[in-house]
Amino acid sequence: MAGPTGDKMIRVDMTNQTAELVDFPAEWKLLGGRALSAKILTAECDPTCDPLGPDNVLVMAPGVLSGTAAPTSGRISIGGKSPLTGGIKEANTGGQPGQHLMKLGIRAIVVKGKPADAGARYALEVNADGVKIVSADAHKMKRNYALCMDLHGEYPKTTSFITCGPAGEMGLSGASVATTDQDNRYPARHAARGGLGAVMGSKGLKYVAVDPGRAGVRRPADRAKFGELCKTYTKEYQEGPQMFQFGTSSVVPMANMLNTFVYKNRTAGQSPDVENLDGARIVESFETRGGEMHNCMTGCIVKCSNVVHDAQGEYKTSALEFETLTLLGSNCAVKSWEDVADMDRLCDEIGLDTIETGGAIAILMDAGQMEWGDADAMRTLMNEIDQGTERGKAIGNGAVATGKFTGHSRVPHALGQTIPAWDPRPLKATGVTYCTSPMGADHTAGLVVNPGLTIDQYVWESQKSQIVNAVCDSSGFCQFLQPSLDDIRNFYGALYGEEVSREQIHDQGWECLQDEWAFNRAAGLSVEDGYLSEALQKDSIAGQVFDVPMDVIEQMYTRLPAQEDLFAAKASG
Amino acid sequence: MPVIQIPPPYRGPTQGVAEVEVDGATLRECLDAVEKEFPGFAPLVLDPDGRLRKFATWFRNGDKLTGDVLATALEPDDSIEIISSVAGG
Repeated sequence: MAGPTGDKMIRVDMTNQTAELVDFPAEWKLLGGRALSAKILTAECDPTCDPLGPDNVLVMAPGVLSGTAAPTSGRISIGGKSPLTGGIKEANTGGQPGQHLMKLGIRAIVVKGKPADAGARYALEVNADGVKIVSADAHKMKRNYALCMDLHGEYPKTTSFITCGPAGEMGLSGASVATTDQDNRYPARHAARGGLGAVMGSKGLKYVAVDPGRAGVRRPADRAKFGELCKTYTKEYQEGPQMFQFGTSSVVPMANMLNTFVYKNRTAGQSPDVENLDGARIVESFETRGGEMHNCMTGCIVKCSNVVHDAQGEYKTSALEFETLTLLGSNCAVKSWEDVADMDRLCDEIGLDTIETGGAIAILMDAGQMEWGDADAMRTLMNEIDQGTERGKAIGNGAVATGKFTGHSRVPHALGQTIPAWDPRPLKATGVTYCTSPMGADHTAGLVVNPGLTIDQYVWESQKSQIVNAVCDSSGFCQFLQPSLDDIRNFYGALYGEEVSREQIHDQGWECLQDEWAFNRAAGLSVEDGYLSEALQKDSIAGQVFDVPMDVIEQMYTRLPAQEDLFAAKASG
Repeated sequence: MPVIQIPPPYRGPTQGVAEVEVDGATLRECLDAVEKEFPGFAPLVLDPDGRLRKFATWFRNGDKLTGDVLATALEPDDSIEIISSVAGG
């Protein structure tokens, strides 16, 4: 048996509002998620196009293993040219749509064009009968939660959703693409970085509804081997330390200790309020308020997502993560996780990247235009964003735009994208990732938390992490499952009944990076453009600045010989 | 002598050294010895009150340590591992 066959892609033309199913190329069967998005974009998207124009291409691609019984394998990649960085972008998220698309045999949705009527809104409906485009004018400018609750009532309960919030409809460069949770109701998962929500909004696409109906899991070629891999991997994971059983918010105290719980626009690496921003407080709140840890997709064994309730015991938000607690919390000198939970909910509602939004608000504060830690003022400001005020739009457009709006010079970014919580000054190999990744400053592109490295180790550690994470983000596996290249190629081999060698899987990761770098060069972005902004070169944290020289950075673009640790290294982001 | 495995996030004070063999009858004695050899390591694993930081889990020869972990008696061929979550979205 050959494994899954007969897969399709959906090609959507938003200029003419048509959608059709086409055959998925058999030679791409080991491509999914990020690698597939990169392949499609380099072939079909003009790198010099206007990111919000008709020539940009929006890709939605589940991973290779999505829709199978492999644990925690339902991630989906959203790809396109980023309005934030001006280069190629892939943002990866969980929720149900990835599983649902693959159960229907849909490997990718490729959206081109743009409606002539900029005010029109459309939706794509995908189910076992095929695909069609319908009007979504009734949902124009709806915030994500209200939208998803309405849609949950309109469609069969088996339907999941990919949505564009008001920020995306307004074309704001910090806009995210949301997906619904395992309950198919809450839009708490976000393909957040790089403004791909604005690309979705520019195409007039308000949502995608995916109803798998009774479609079953995808059948591997070697069912016995695949089943054994699933069983063994799950057992080993569950018998291991399960580092994310209380979510990424539990990383806060460790990050603070390492001087990477950035404070007041990254002018310090530790917060005096770390105890109240620690995810342990969220877990403690479950006892009196309700809430719990849960998984965002069927088949996830990590269950890293928290469900957060308010003081009255009502649902407030979900997936309140370390990055959000840092950028919208400590970085803005906010003192309490409960205030950050409000901001998280607001970002999810409006459809915004919490990292970019937190980075932007901290710049506003650093410029003296808001008091540090004023959570009430932050809530007011965030509620202005989809009202279209000038400062609201600046925040929604991200850190660099807010720097220009305020005239403030301390703007930490790489390639126009604000820096994540993991700071490149104490963690210089991660800084090398930020400088060289086609994604710009994106910790999920290759996180290296090792302050003990020497300069001659930075490039290999970053390149290794970038390759492993690129392959992971192509596979459908969640990075928090921490699969290795050997794990992934073994699953692929059982899925399609053929050996996938170490060389092949290394090739796939490297080729993905090369495709993306080539896109960026053609878009006019140079190696130097990717270097970290001045704020990180001049302002120190724990006595360190980012001072890795360009001749070291440039070594990243040469494929280093594979070392044994490449294939056992775990995805980390 | 027992070996303390130093995970990557903790290798700043050890300047990249990944394993430290130290003399000590208990875990506390071994951590004191690591601190003596690599100043700055102790604050990464101990809070200001001298207790183990809560966000790390300690293993001895693969078995999770519980109770008064610092008082754990160690054998000369023991291997101590520290696991803490390091990633974040």
